[in-house]
Amino acid sequence: MNHRVLIIDDEEDIRQVAALSLETIAGWDVEMACSGAQGLLRAIEYQPDAILLDVMMPGMDGPTTFRELRKNPATANIPVLLLTAKVQCSDQRRFADLGVRAVLFKPFDPLTLSTQIAGVLGWN
Amino acid sequence: MDPIEQNAITEALHRMWDKFHPEMMARVEVLESADAALASGSLTMAQRHEANAAAHKLAGSLGTFGLTKGTILAREAEMLYSNEPETDPTAAARLAQISALLRSIVENRK
Repeated sequence: MNHRVLIIDDEEDIRQVAALSLETIAGWDVEMACSGAQGLLRAIEYQPDAILLDVMMPGMDGPTTFRELRKNPATANIPVLLLTAKVQCSDQRRFADLGVRAVLFKPFDPLTLSTQIAGVLGWN
Repeated sequence: MDPIEQNAITEALHRMWDKFHPEMMARVEVLESADAALASGSLTMAQRHEANAAAHKLAGSLGTFGLTKGTILAREAEMLYSNEPETDPTAAARLAQISALLRSIVENRK
């Protein structure tokens, strides 16, 4: 069975490159959402095996979206990987403390993104 | 990953770069406008936030398209714009230099 991943990011270029990487290299099924609010709805409908969630988004940011996902029983157990371009240690600690499965960094290598995700989630 | 698959990804990334190139240039232009305002002493808070966001997005995107140096420069611009560059006498010159380098990197990616 193919893994199903939901990408939530307000930047279209990042969504498209990540989707290309996960679909073409790993053969996973990918859905995309361009905001936290849209991502919450897509997560309920699509029931992905994992969510790749951007941190800095206008409106509902990544950490807020993550907390909302956790509050809803329909999405509470879906593993979430944060995706961020923030490189300061204080930010990284703050994100890790949220309880996400992993924090991945932008820029990512499209050739190895799926391997990184699979490694974190034990999908090897 | 076999070479054929890798080539397919590389080709797809080239096509995506062509699609998103105008957006990357627009982000560089936001930085250039903010640099000019900073140099003339008229940088507003809104412009500073816009420049900070544009630099952040460039930092996240450029390396994904293989432009690692662009990510490093954009991160430096993001840091300078997040630390009140009006109070740093060297910031305006450095930010202008960074924007010129970013423009060259974005314009010249093959």
